[in-house]
Amino acid sequence: MQDVLTVQGLCKQYEGFALRDVSFTLRPGAITGLIGRNGAGKSTTLKSLLNLVHPDSGDISFFGQPFLGHEQQAKQQLSFVMGGFSYYPMKKLKTITAATRPFYTGWDEDVYRRCIQRFKLPEQKTPRQLSDGMRVKYALALALSHHAKLLILDEPTSGLDPVSRDELMELFLALVQEEGVTILFSTHITTDLEKCADDILYIKNGELVAQTGMRQFLEEYRMVSFPTPQPPKQAAEKLIGCRPSRTGCEALVHTANLPIDGAEVQKAGLEDIMVHMERV
Amino acid sequence: MKALLQKELRLAMHPAALLFLALSALLIIPNYPYYVTFFYTTLGIFFICLTGRETQDVLYSALLPVAKKDIVTARMLVAVGLQLLQMVIAVPFAVLRQRLIPAGNEVGMDANIALFGISLMMLGVFNWVFFTRYYHNVQKVGMPFNIACAVYFVLLCVAEAAAHIVPFVRDKLDTPDPRYLAEKLVVLAVGAVLYALFTLAACRRAQSLFKKQDL
Repeated sequence: MQDVLTVQGLCKQYEGFALRDVSFTLRPGAITGLIGRNGAGKSTTLKSLLNLVHPDSGDISFFGQPFLGHEQQAKQQLSFVMGGFSYYPMKKLKTITAATRPFYTGWDEDVYRRCIQRFKLPEQKTPRQLSDGMRVKYALALALSHHAKLLILDEPTSGLDPVSRDELMELFLALVQEEGVTILFSTHITTDLEKCADDILYIKNGELVAQTGMRQFLEEYRMVSFPTPQPPKQAAEKLIGCRPSRTGCEALVHTANLPIDGAEVQKAGLEDIMVHMERV
Repeated sequence: MKALLQKELRLAMHPAALLFLALSALLIIPNYPYYVTFFYTTLGIFFICLTGRETQDVLYSALLPVAKKDIVTARMLVAVGLQLLQMVIAVPFAVLRQRLIPAGNEVGMDANIALFGISLMMLGVFNWVFFTRYYHNVQKVGMPFNIACAVYFVLLCVAEAAAHIVPFVRDKLDTPDPRYLAEKLVVLAVGAVLYALFTLAACRRAQSLFKKQDL
């Protein structure tokens, strides 16, 4: 099956920051999480995909066609949401929808009506009067109404309470299963991804350091802890991002480097992996 | 383009920009620097762009399936629409001013055909100065407007002063219609051509600048 998005050698140089040779693909019908700490290059990567930020080099293809030269066709089939829906905070949803509808050749009013009912969106209200979670849902309603096959969301869960985040993750899963959409979303809230992501893209200091399946990524690492303030010397070079813990010290380790004498081994969560890798 | 224009009117239009159109009635004041009347549309355009920054209008537009150059064209068409609408609305007030108060404008230029021609030229210059700076960085609206205003007011002062001290302007252009009609019509035509040229050049330059801009 054709890849939904292919990115090859994406580079962008800023003063004090550079996006270096970012390459990845998105499988159709998969939820891919783009993780990385603040300032790692998540938003720059996502913005570069749609030429909102102009990359210095790199090739981007949506649905098998290069984005440059087919920009409008690609945008008909995807939706990009930054944060929640932060546009036109004082306009009623029905006004925003009325202004947005004519741009999409595949706009489906029945789908829009169903989304409005399903997400319980009050069309007479303005984005400002909606909760952060409802704003994301409105953005999804607009995306689904023009049958977007790819949803790109930049930090959609940022600022949401745990219940709303959980609801949204459930919704993402439902959209993939029911509508067959592909989702790429950036976040630094790793627990969200553990609930729903199939694949992981991990970006660090502008470089993609991991592109793999979620389960595989989690299986690649383990957490090890030692009862002493410092790890044994023979283990030190196998450890990633060793740090003091309440009972001694702990670190991340590649599964291939196990076993380690004197270490208590536990499964690593996405947060563990990210926190320890960022210490290197 | 139709969808973009609808979006401009529904989502980006600032109510004050429409309200300022009513200020065409300033032409009925017996003594007033009438060139100021047409300045108010530029203020309306500034409000649209400023509000657009706060509502992330440019980013929303850039995410829609449209060409980036069309986003610029739509905004400039709205600006041109407002400017020309203000001119059209001002015409009956200019006629009324001349019919009701036969005495000329003590402050400067009379509300006559030449006033419209020179104002068109001034608005064309405003469009060039403002839009070519605004589309260099859409996050900065204030400075482009300040510079464009400064240029507009220099032109306004020169035009008003000319109505007092330049013999051709004072004796022929600053007179009630239809006196020196031919000269005034030439000024109107030249003003309209300059307005079109400045605005078209501004649009092309703004499109090129906006295309290169990181949002």
